[in-house]
Amino acid sequence: MIKHESIETNAGLLIILTMIVISIGGLVEIVPLFYINTTVEKVEGVRPYSPLELRGRDIYQREGCYLCHSQMIRPFRDEWLRYGHYSLAAESKYDHPFQWGSKRTGPDLARVGGKYSNEWHVAHLLNPRSVVPQSIMPNYPWLLETDLDYSDIAERMRALKKTGVPYSETQEEYDRNVAEFGAEVADKLDILNAEENLMKQALDNDYDGQRSRVTEMDALVAYLQVLGTMVDFSKYNEGYFTEFR
Amino acid sequence: MAHAATGSSEQYNYDIIRKFTLMALVWGLLGMSVGVYIASELAWPFLNLDIPQITFGRLRPVHTTLVIFGFGGSALFATSYYVVQRTCQTRLYSDMLATFTFWGWQLAVGLGALSYMLGHTQSREYAEFEWPIDLLIAVVWVAYFWVYVQTLKRRSQPHIYVANWFYMAFILATAILHIFNNLAVPVDLFSMKSYSLFSGVQDAMTQWWYGHNAVGFFLTAAFLGMMYYFVPKQAGRPVYSYRLSIVHFWALSFLYMWVGAHHLHWTALPDWTSTLAATFSIMLLLPSWGGMINGIMTLSGAWEKLRTDPIMLFLITALSFYGMSTFEGPMMSLKSVNALSHYTDWTIGHVHSGALGWVAMVSFGSFYHLIPRLYDTRLYSTRLVYVHFWLATIGILLYITSMWVAGIFQGLMLRSFDEFGSLAYTFVETVAFLHKPYVVRALGGAFFVSGVVVMAYNALMTLRKARVEAAELEAKLAAKMARA
Amino acid sequence: MPEWFLWFTRFENSKIVALLLFFVAFCGILIYVYTGKARGQRLESYKYMPFDDEDSDAGRDGEVEEDERRKS
Repeated sequence: MIKHESIETNAGLLIILTMIVISIGGLVEIVPLFYINTTVEKVEGVRPYSPLELRGRDIYQREGCYLCHSQMIRPFRDEWLRYGHYSLAAESKYDHPFQWGSKRTGPDLARVGGKYSNEWHVAHLLNPRSVVPQSIMPNYPWLLETDLDYSDIAERMRALKKTGVPYSETQEEYDRNVAEFGAEVADKLDILNAEENLMKQALDNDYDGQRSRVTEMDALVAYLQVLGTMVDFSKYNEGYFTEFR
Repeated sequence: MAHAATGSSEQYNYDIIRKFTLMALVWGLLGMSVGVYIASELAWPFLNLDIPQITFGRLRPVHTTLVIFGFGGSALFATSYYVVQRTCQTRLYSDMLATFTFWGWQLAVGLGALSYMLGHTQSREYAEFEWPIDLLIAVVWVAYFWVYVQTLKRRSQPHIYVANWFYMAFILATAILHIFNNLAVPVDLFSMKSYSLFSGVQDAMTQWWYGHNAVGFFLTAAFLGMMYYFVPKQAGRPVYSYRLSIVHFWALSFLYMWVGAHHLHWTALPDWTSTLAATFSIMLLLPSWGGMINGIMTLSGAWEKLRTDPIMLFLITALSFYGMSTFEGPMMSLKSVNALSHYTDWTIGHVHSGALGWVAMVSFGSFYHLIPRLYDTRLYSTRLVYVHFWLATIGILLYITSMWVAGIFQGLMLRSFDEFGSLAYTFVETVAFLHKPYVVRALGGAFFVSGVVVMAYNALMTLRKARVEAAELEAKLAAKMARA
Repeated sequence: MPEWFLWFTRFENSKIVALLLFFVAFCGILIYVYTGKARGQRLESYKYMPFDDEDSDAGRDGEVEEDERRKS
């Protein structure tokens, strides 16, 4: 039996006991999330980001968008009417780091993809008050002026691959992606063709309205336009998702 | 300088404490001014000026980092080094290592702020430092731990005073939190960019386990250590109950680590986790209030000190705000309240009632006690301490009430429906409503910062006074010598 | 491995066991701290530790009041 007196008078013992006491809460709450298989729903359609979307996501983080916009819709009627179906854990399973946010100075963006045109996004990012007069969002003119730096896109995808995102480098990994996501998506996840894929997506869609250049605006709009569009909710009935909550 | 603190300077390492105290004031002034600026950006968005480096999204982590780690961190280094030396009655272990913690910490804070403005961020709230700075912080923290433990080991009496327990728990918890929350894979060795090792729901849980315990151990446990030394010292009376402080310590250390998930109510996090967190949040009220009562009751029977001593006023007001925000916190962690309050400015108000009301006020009180002793003189002006106190108090009250109005009314607007069952307000209508509360909030912040300016002036004049006194003493001695 | 040990390896069980253990430990601390007159006096005597270093501070407002000290 340890006497409290010996704790008070022994720095080493005090340290060890404090460590035990402060570790237990985190262990109990965090560790099971990695092992309990009901934490993340099994749904079709959620895929890793394409190279262009990934760079867009990096810019989203760089500008600190997450400080005013959440990406986590809660299961309430007003949020359903305003933003759409509540967010699933599966929808952010490739998000390193998560971008759920903690404050809505602006609206939630979890399902903003496809709601507005590319032109609207460009106009809004350049000068939010030109399309939403009461907005208090900053202007982001430099996004359209700065060419996108994609020189290290392959390294970025490799780093993400190390964390478990299924980008492919070998034929075997590619085949596995074809089996899971289909050939069209698997092509986008190929690290060896990352630069070509990025250029192709930017030029094909011309998000920023400047066909000659690939700018940071292209990347950011590409990211915004894919948010919340991956899961087809008409395929599932509501009861299925509630099993996981 | 050596003459400014005769006697004590040999027994204790005061130099390192002076350095940290000075930097706490510098970072505090800078970080709070940035806070006022970004608050103004929300009220008047043209202030973003189309300059990438000073837009709200990039400056907000600059504000939080400078006030939490710059001001709060330096205040904790300063007071913990002071308390551990004074209660162990021994000199700090290794001047060199202590000096290293000073420069390392200041470098990390400065580089962090600069890197966010340049767009390098992990986008994890209160842990935005990218991986090279994270490594620097880890090294500094190990050095801090070592200095602290070695100093404890040199103490002259068997018992370790309870303030040191709280500081120790803060050092340990911060180490664990920092390491696990910042696990990331860098893009390459020469790139600032890294990707978090975890994703989605696990990443969210890790981040808010960190986020809330940065509040729990960095901004609470450590400042309670400060409270357990400086409140009794300034009051000239021992703490109300030492036994309560022991129970307080173990209960607080155990309970805090469970509550982080209350930041993730109604999200894709499994229900059992957030329910557990809400339950523990309610339980946390008990040790929090136990500690508050212990601090305030130290003055029991000597309440008149509040009328004569402005430093005591700072410390006791800090404890009152601590009690208020530790009541508000568990209430906001109830799922039904959280449904309204989450994502709104109510949370921001709550944080600031803790950060300004508790953390900053208890630090100011401790500094006013500390500074004259560090320079072996008396405070330049007690009247200015009163001025500071009222500026700070008015600032906090404006801040909290405007954020209550902003948060509660926005929450209510967002969930109201018209008679046809459709949404009564669009999102941007609620943003337009926020303008007035945002103006009041910026004003409150300005009051608070002007208080810090008064304090900095007072500290500077005290320092000058100490120098003059030292010079006079030297002249007197020289005259005596000459006569002899 | 014996059956009873496997029971502890399941999270839903070990969580409760851990919680019970810590609750018992907490009650132990409460009992330890608040029972025994001599122990109580010893613990409360530590609250004067911040005042044991008045050497360089003598005569300043930070001094512990004499009657306070005599009370214990």
